[in-house]
Amino acid sequence: MGEHETSGIFESLVEKLPGNFDIYFWNFVILMIFTVFEVAAVFFDTIPLSAVWAILIGVGIVKGYGIAAYFMHLKGDPRVYTRTALFPVLFVLLMLWGIGLSNPGAVGDLPAWCTPFSDGYATRR
Amino acid sequence: MSGGEAHVENSIWMRAVLFGGVFVAIGLLAFATMGVGIANVKHVAYEDAIHEYEDAKYAYENAKANNASDVDISALKEAKDFAHEDEVKAHLSYLTWRTAGITILLMCFTYASFIGLGGFLNSVFPDDHGHDNHGYGGDDHEHHGSGSPIVFSLGIMLFLMGFPSFQATLGNMLSGVDADLGDLGLSMIGLLFVTAGVANWWREDLPFIGNNEQIATETDEWFAGEHIRKAGLWVFIMSEVMVFATFFSSYLRMRTEWCTEWQVRDGNENCAAVDTLTASDFLRPNGGTLDGLGGTGDFMTLLPGAINTFALIISSYTIVLALKTAKSKDWQAPTGKLGKIMPTKKAAVRNYLIATFLLGSMFIVLKLVEWSHLVAEGFTIGAAGTTGQAASIFYVATGAHGLHVFIGLLVMLYLIFKADTVGYDEKNGQGIEYFGLYWHFVDLAWVVIFPAFYLY
Repeated sequence: MGEHETSGIFESLVEKLPGNFDIYFWNFVILMIFTVFEVAAVFFDTIPLSAVWAILIGVGIVKGYGIAAYFMHLKGDPRVYTRTALFPVLFVLLMLWGIGLSNPGAVGDLPAWCTPFSDGYATRR
Repeated sequence: MSGGEAHVENSIWMRAVLFGGVFVAIGLLAFATMGVGIANVKHVAYEDAIHEYEDAKYAYENAKANNASDVDISALKEAKDFAHEDEVKAHLSYLTWRTAGITILLMCFTYASFIGLGGFLNSVFPDDHGHDNHGYGGDDHEHHGSGSPIVFSLGIMLFLMGFPSFQATLGNMLSGVDADLGDLGLSMIGLLFVTAGVANWWREDLPFIGNNEQIATETDEWFAGEHIRKAGLWVFIMSEVMVFATFFSSYLRMRTEWCTEWQVRDGNENCAAVDTLTASDFLRPNGGTLDGLGGTGDFMTLLPGAINTFALIISSYTIVLALKTAKSKDWQAPTGKLGKIMPTKKAAVRNYLIATFLLGSMFIVLKLVEWSHLVAEGFTIGAAGTTGQAASIFYVATGAHGLHVFIGLLVMLYLIFKADTVGYDEKNGQGIEYFGLYWHFVDLAWVVIFPAFYLY
């Protein structure tokens, strides 16, 4: 969202496209097209689950990059903003691994003290 | 009054009060037409559908009891099932209009109280009071920060301290039970502090025309020369990333243990049968079923979520257009019909912001309509087994996201007000840029939430 000019493959492609539209417009068009793919994927029962996952993750990455790099203008702004944006990634990965994937027992294996209605909140009230 | 700021008459704040009045009128009108008028018609249709279903059910059971022929029983069963489908559709149609009407009413009342109260508080100040010695001092003033965020934060703290009993107290009040007003009162005092902090913040920002933006000094190794507000906003956004990461990691933890329709269809050896329904089982076509629930999704049920996804992307683009227009040094009015809507640069920025605001408001209305349908179909936190867990994390994650959208809309109200009064240009357009960063983050969060909670 800054006013700096950016350069790259996408930028040079945009220059060759017809019409007098800027990079934000084409980024918007791409985001819309990929969203159609995303929604359409679940309508095809014959696609295996792994393929649906691949489509959803792939589309998510493209859309996330389009929004962060062009709409939020990380591409073009000083690198310090990208570093700031990447700072929590380590903690997010730790959280996804440490909480999300490390214990497949889900909530059933949580200790009693962090399970609602186990010994405290509901009975105390 | 210094030369570094726009001169803002206090009377201009009365325009914010007028905005508030307009929102009240829109809310009442929408509620009267959608929430009462159309909803009542739909309710009559729903009652008729119930009677038709009861008649069909009676005819079917009567035929079975009287040992009618198999052909007759089969036909009557088919008629009963059709009547049941019609009843469900009529119920959801009624809920759509009723929920939309009530949501628009509540949203408009919140908009009205926020912008109206903030405007009123500022309008009662005598002219010129507060133009000096505040956050964005003029050319001849040393720059200093604003105290408003501290007042605002204190308000949030008080509001949250009273929040645990907020819903219970409101529920008791609405159902006529004696309510303990202590905690509710604390929340209300918190909201007063929030309003005062926000109103003062607006008062400081409205005359700001781009002079003396706080810049990080060269002693700051990383952010030297950068706008402090922008750096601060990025740090804030990163803290928000952590908030949504907690929801997502909780969801992953639970999801790895559930046997959903996806797992069963994919031949997961640990999942012989479906034991959990997720929101996607109610929304997408061919969703899983369990204990008579789920499997009701089709194109139409997925439509609100899909429309919301497109709405957020379009709103991300309109806010980019608002900034681009504000920052443009040689802006020219478009030709044709668009030129009539945007005859001047000031009007163009305001109208792009209004478009963003309308799209965001539509997002909230559609989300609550969707929630009302899911609850009506049995996807509640009280649902049996792990479906209740799935509902819990769904409503918490999508609700937190919706809350972020709504807070963004409240901030956008002020941006629209400023665009309509002082205006944004290439010097002070960064106000839109910083808000845009937040708005794009909300869009980014939806990029993760939508497939994870709605599609998969």
